[in-house]
Parts: sequence; C-alpha cells; structure tokens
Amino acid sequence: MDGKGKRISLERVPDFVSDGDRLWMGGWTVVRKPFAMMYEIIRAQKKNLHLINNPGGPETDLLIGCGCASKSETNYIGHELFGHPYNFRRRFEDPESNHGFRHDDWTVATGSLRIMAGAMGIPFIPTRFLRGSDILNPALDGFKDLRGIDPKVPKRKFLKMKDPFWDGEEVMLIPSLTPDVCFIHAQEAGEDGTVRITGGVFLDYYAAVASRVTIVSAERIVPVEALEATREENAIPGAAVDAVVEVPFGAHPTAVHGCYDNDPWWFRDYLKASKTEDGMQAWMEEWVYGPGSFQAYLAKVGRSRLDRITADPKLCYSPTIKRRLDRLDEVG
Amino acid sequence: MHPSYSRLEMMVVAASRLLQNRERVLVGTGIPLVAAILAKKTHARDMVMVMEAVAFDSNPESLPFCVADPRAVYRTTWTPTSAEVMGHFLQSGKIDVGFLGGAQVDRYGNLNSTCIGPYDRPQKRFEGSGGAGDIASLAKRTIIIMNHEKRRFVEKVDYITSPGWKCRALDWASDVMREEIALDGGPYAVVSTLGVMKFDPHSRSMYVETYYSDLGVLIGDIRAVTEFDIDVSRARPMEPPTTDELTVLREQVDPEGIFMKY
Repeated sequence: MDGKGKRISLERVPDFVSDGDRLWMGGWTVVRKPFAMMYEIIRAQKKNLHLINNPGGPETDLLIGCGCASKSETNYIGHELFGHPYNFRRRFEDPESNHGFRHDDWTVATGSLRIMAGAMGIPFIPTRFLRGSDILNPALDGFKDLRGIDPKVPKRKFLKMKDPFWDGEEVMLIPSLTPDVCFIHAQEAGEDGTVRITGGVFLDYYAAVASRVTIVSAERIVPVEALEATREENAIPGAAVDAVVEVPFGAHPTAVHGCYDNDPWWFRDYLKASKTEDGMQAWMEEWVYGPGSFQAYLAKVGRSRLDRITADPKLCYSPTIKRRLDRLDEVG
Repeated sequence: MHPSYSRLEMMVVAASRLLQNRERVLVGTGIPLVAAILAKKTHARDMVMVMEAVAFDSNPESLPFCVADPRAVYRTTWTPTSAEVMGHFLQSGKIDVGFLGGAQVDRYGNLNSTCIGPYDRPQKRFEGSGGAGDIASLAKRTIIIMNHEKRRFVEKVDYITSPGWKCRALDWASDVMREEIALDGGPYAVVSTLGVMKFDPHSRSMYVETYYSDLGVLIGDIRAVTEFDIDVSRARPMEPPTTDELTVLREQVDPEGIFMKY
C-alpha cells in the first residue's frame, strides 16, 4: 500500500489478524520484539496462529503459553541467557500439556534464506546448509502429517537436488516463507510507513516485503520530511508497510537500541510464573487481561522501572542495568 | 597451595587460546562469547568477532547478553542481517572458526542442542539449533565448549543439531563421513571443564590432548565422565592461566559474572 495516512490506533491491530494466520514478529529473541501489538492479539483471543518468525523469543513462548498459537516453525524459541522457554518446553515434555501443538525445527541461516525467498516472490531456494544433521530427517519432521493437508504448511519440508549448472553438488531446496501478517517494532516510522531502525535491522526488511500485511509500531511517528534528510538510514520503504502505530516502550520487556534495555524484572517474574500452566494463567491475568490496555500495563510496570532500563544516549543500552536475575534484589 | 582459579575459568582461557589473531570467528551466545572476547583482549586483538544476528567486526565494551544485543553493535563497522552473515559469508566459506556450545556431544563431535530423549516425546526440549547447525556445517573449523559430564559426553547424541565428523547421510538411513556429503571444516576441539579434546585425523574420534592437572584433574577423571571410550594416551598437562588472562577475564570481560557466575 502506498501513500500517507497509515496511522492507526493500537486497539485496531487485531483487525488485521485472522485465526490460523502465519505470523512473523520482527526483531531477534530478546531484542526489539513487537510486544504491545502481541498483547493486543492475545486480548482479542486470536486462535491457531502459526508462528514463523526466525528466531523466536519471549513473544513466541507467550503466544504458545496463552493458547493463541497451535504451530511454530522456527530455529529457536527462548529467552537467551535469562532462562528457558517453559511454555514451549511443556508442550513437548508433558503430553497432557501438548493440546495438539506442533513444532518444525529449522536453523538461523535457512530461516533467513526462506524469508528472503519469500520477499523475492520465488517459491523455494537452494542451500548448502542442512546436510548431515537431523533437521531434515524425514522421520523427525514435526509437521509430517500436516503436509499436503494444511494449506499453510509446505507440501514437503525439502527436496534434495544435484546442482545442474556447475559441479553437481547435492543441495537442498527449501520452501520460502510468506507470512500472512508481519509485526515489527521500530525506533521511528513516518505516516507513509517508512521505517527507520538503528542497531541492526535483523530480518525485518525481508519479512515486511514477504508478508501479505505488515504493521509497524514505533517509539515515535515522525514527519516524512524528517526521514528524507538522512534517507540512507531508513530500513523499510513505506511501500512494504500497511499501517503504523505509535507506541512508546512498545517492545517492553525486550531491548530497543538507543531507547531502552531488557527489563530483567519482567523476565524474572515471567520465568517464575511460566514454569507451570497455573502460574502462566495467573501471570496472564495479572499482566495482560487485568490491565486491559498497553497504557495500563506500562503504568503497572511503573515509571521508575522504565527509567532504570532507559538507554544511555551514546552507548544505546543501559550501562547500569543488572542482567543477573539471581542478583536483582541487590539493586532493588 | 591451591590454585586460585576455577575449572570454568580454565575452560574459558583454554578455549580463548585456540583462537588466532586475524581469524574471522562466528561466535555463539554465552561462554563462547566470553572466551572470544578474552582472546581479543589478550593475544588476538585483530581477531574479527562475528555475531550471526547483527554485527560483523564487533568490539563490545560491555559483554553482550546475546548475539543481537545493542552492546554487540556499540563498536562495529557493519550491522548486517543473518541473511548476509550466514547466507552469504558462512555459506560461501568465508568464516574461519565457528564457536559453539551444546547439551550433548559424541566421539565424532556431533552436537545436540535440540532435545534429550525421543524427538517427538523428549524428556527435555531445548531452544533449538539457532545458528549452531549452520556454523558446524560450513565454518572452516569448529570449536565446541561445554561442561564435562557423563550425560553430556555420550556414545550417541539423541539428535544431531550440528554435524560432526561422522554424521547423517543424505538418505538419513545411515551415517557417513562429512566430506562425503560435501560439508566444509569440521570439529577442531572440544574444550571442557576437565581438559581439551581433539580429533584423531584417521579415526576422527575424540582424544584427550590436555587436562587440567594443575586443578587436580586426573586422566581417569576424564574417562570416568565420558560415556564413550576415549583415547588418553596423548594426554599432557594444560598450561595454567596466566595472571594477565585471569585479570582480563575477571575485570574486563565479565565483571558482572553474567556467564562466569562469580
């Protein structure tokens, strides 16, 4: 979609998402994840989402834990060194907690190639990766009984092919990723959808182009003229963005370069609660359904905590934040 | 007198010594990152530290918490995406060293970071490959770093996330040597909390090269916590950490003890 006037309110975000959609959430594990938009689709009780962002972080574990997602197709789901993705783990370690949930394992390189192929509009891409491991082992394909049946799942995971052009090396053809919906959180966006990202774009440009609908939340919506002056710093063109929404702290509790750092207190509380289904339900009630809006959620987090995680303008992270969860009490 | 350093510190120092100046090293989150930064701050100042998510030549002033951390890009000349780092540089053979951890390793250096137990119904399900499977496939050499425990040094890994010297054939019905399926590089060393293991050029099996005798480690200790039969005939004592290595590690690399847990 082209043109200006793409600004929407946060409450409208769920209108763009349907049950069963393949959802890409930009950023990388615990960095620049679109939490504000994700909380909205949880409150809207979307179902059967198929999570394909590569890699996944706390937002992926959360959507699994709250019952909004029934599938994940990615190379990693976790909270980096904060702790383990207990909701995701429980789906597989405890059969009673599986609830029909499926997971398909990939790798960082091939997840990247698949979304790049999606942006190019090609159906698949060859790769020299994935040989020798169990990632493509047909007996260990988490989606094997969905292939050829579920239209959102590729009919096969891969096809082996001898390079017909050069040396005859055996390569793997892997399907492109074409998300139905893409959520990205950025530092700045214009009303025309132009997106400015600092500190690493990750796969957000490819995902925005590859997706049917792309929505960007930003710390600041700025006049388009402000983005023209230093145009080389823009990461995604407005042509690949359908809607923009201004949400300060919209990626909390993940880090946004130049704006704020990870919120270690959030991770401590979430990791403790997510160890059990009951704990997770109580956490959802306290932090998502109870507050009822992102504004109320931020108010509950509290100004002092948001000040503590605010980034140093030169370093672009918080040099004082304590990242050891076992020592958080020492800093109050 | 008891040595004034831990096995974890010796492991990190031993791993850092395997990295060379001017090498291009693709580093995973956690202890590999600690060892790589230590190398850069001691003997390998011009080593190029590459992080798959975001940074090509990263020179962090504060220890990054993950490979996408704003700390990783504070001092760097290029912030590529993983499509460039992995899809371009790694896939085309332009990465010298891959530096990885894992949950299980076998005699051929196959690594598992996916699950313990059957894949469909695991006792433990982990976060998944991330970039590990890619790095182990196509980096020119791979260094593995992990705690030395019997449940980790196993006869057969439950799942091959990252292929070693003898790994899955392309029909997944048998195992083959990695060069038969055109993989580059291969495991170069396993650095553990007891010693440094290398791989025999003929059998491709892991053997003990050095052990941390200064910390009281005996060759028998390594055999006792290694599930497969490991050759110890070439084992010799490891050179203890220098004062400089320990000081830099403690005061500059991880002063918060995020990974070293001081």
